[in-house]
Formats: sequence, structure tokens, C-alpha cells
Amino acid sequence: MASHSQVWVVVPTYNEAPVVGDVLRGLLAVFPQVVAVDDGSTDGSGDAIRQAGARLVTHPINMGAGAALQTGIDFALRDPNMRTVVTFDADGQHRVEDAVGMVEYLSRRDLDVVIGSRFLGSEAVNMPASKRRLLKVATVFEKLTSGVKLTDAHQGLRAFNRGFAQKLQMRTPDMGWASEFLSRIQETEARFEEYPVSVEYSEYSRAKGQRSINSVNIGIDVLINRLLRGHR
Amino acid sequence: MQWIKVPLILAVLLVMVALFQRRQRVEFRAGSRLLALGLGMLAVLSVAFPGIPQAVADRLGVARGTDLILYMLIVVFVLTSLGLYFRLREADERLRRLARSMAIERALNEQGFANPSPEGDGRQGDAGP
Repeated sequence: MASHSQVWVVVPTYNEAPVVGDVLRGLLAVFPQVVAVDDGSTDGSGDAIRQAGARLVTHPINMGAGAALQTGIDFALRDPNMRTVVTFDADGQHRVEDAVGMVEYLSRRDLDVVIGSRFLGSEAVNMPASKRRLLKVATVFEKLTSGVKLTDAHQGLRAFNRGFAQKLQMRTPDMGWASEFLSRIQETEARFEEYPVSVEYSEYSRAKGQRSINSVNIGIDVLINRLLRGHR
Repeated sequence: MQWIKVPLILAVLLVMVALFQRRQRVEFRAGSRLLALGLGMLAVLSVAFPGIPQAVADRLGVARGTDLILYMLIVVFVLTSLGLYFRLREADERLRRLARSMAIERALNEQGFANPSPEGDGRQGDAGP
């Protein structure tokens, strides 16, 4: 097993106070270094994070999921011993054993990036059929905009090495970060594979989850970002 | 409708995108300022001599001088909106970078860079810088 002391788990958090504590405790049982980025929560998520014993980085204002993720990655990069970053959702939909498996897979296969997929092998538990269809469309869209073919889209559980973390530098503040992530894989010719993960759609995560119509916003933002890429 | 309008409109859109992608260049900034000066002078002139817009409109085949001014207003409005949109995007990005570095520095100052030491948990970490 790869040394978990060189792994940083990044957990972007926005108003997840009821669940984030348990999620972080579950992670800390395996990974000693967990940083939760509180993206300007208003429900006391920051206290829950502190009580769980994770490192806390607090955005002074709400900036979006992608911005929070990048903050966590920047924080992890400040640790010279960090070799691997794992991104993990705060709402409790991911399983810690999947993260462990991905870290192990990353080093065993000598990859740059491992992305969790809900559609490889194991089935997504309780995934609504409409969401399934939307994700299929999203994979085609991402293939067209980034050139990277995946079986799943916008899956938050990912593991990557320090080199890729340094190159990532995402500028997409909101949920469109997943597409910029794929573009970066393409641009840097990173070695990546998908890894089967299972996701539990609880009552809580379904209530909190993205509304499908928001995919329109994400898609248009991705197109604008592609159009303006490299021009500041 | 004449179909020539489709490529014309597409061409205008393309030129705008190309312009805005190069908007940081000094030529572009100088160009837009000269344009603004020119428009300002035109405004003064057409207030003083109200016949000018109508004369230009007749030349261009537009029915009325007010229509011509409306068209120009639309063009300027679209350009202004796009310019402000891009400027806002950049301002947001700068704000995010600032907030991010503040957040990270504050976290490091408060907790050092040692491993997490939750209250009373006794978890042991390596010494940080």
C-alpha cells in the first residue's frame, strides 16, 4: 500500500454541516491529511470541519465548487511531501474504500490521473434514470469539447499525482471545473484511467444535488471558456 | 430575406470574437478610444446640425436618420456589453485569486503546516516549516 502520509484529500464544502463531519471522520481514519475548503458556508460547516479534525481553509466569500477545489489543491501543493491529491465530495456520496483503491491504482499503474466512474462495473445505487441519461449526454459533450472520452461525467472522486496537480490551475469557478480538468488532461498528455466506484444517492445528496437544468449553464460556460482559452 | 445577410452577420460575430481575444493589445485599446472620440464628435456635430444624420441615412439607403442612429446604438451597446462582460470575468478571476491566497495564508498561519491536530485526538504529525 502506498504511503498515505503523502496523500492529501481535498473536500470542497458548501453548506454541508449535517454530513461533512462524518465524511471527514471516515476519511481521517485512513488518510492522515484531509483539507476541507469551506466555500463561504452559512450553516456552520466550518465548525463541523474543525470538530472532525480536518484542516480547514475558509473562503471569505462563496466562489463555487471549482474555485474551492483549486484552493484545496493549492493548499496541498504547499506541502513539499505531498505526492498525491484525492478529491472527495462533502455530501457523503463517495466511499472511502474507493479513494483508497484509486490511490493504490494510481501508483501501481504509474498514472498521472485516476477518475472515478459510476458506470464501470459496479452500479450507481439509487441513481435516478433521468440523471443517468443526462450524464450520457454530458460524456458526449465532454468528448467533443475536450477530446477525452470517459464513461462518466462530473464525477467528484479523482486522484492525481503532484505533477498534474501543479499543471492543473483551474480557472473555472463553478461546476464546469470537471470539463476544464479533462481539457488539462488533454493538453498535458497526462496518463489517465477510469476506476469503477460506487456512489450512494441518499435522500440527502439527492435533495442537495445539481438541478438538471443547470447543465445548460455549465455547458455554455464550458464553451465560452474554450473560446477564450489562453486569452486573458 | 436575402441570404447574403447570413454570412454578413456571421462575419460580424467572428470579427467581434477575434477582436475581444486580442483586446489586451495596445492597438485595440487605442482603436476603441479613437472610435469613442469619433463618436463623441459625431454626436456633437449632429446635435448642432440635425440634418447630418438624415443626409448620411439617405446616402446609405436607410429610410430615416433616427433609424441610422438606432442601428449605431445597437452596435455600440452590444460591443459595450461584451466588453463589460469580459472585464467582469477578469475581475472575478482576480478576486478569486486574492481570496484564495488569503484563505490559504490564514489557514497556514492559524494551524502551521504540521499535520492536523484535532482537539484532544492526539494524532501525531511531522513537523511543518
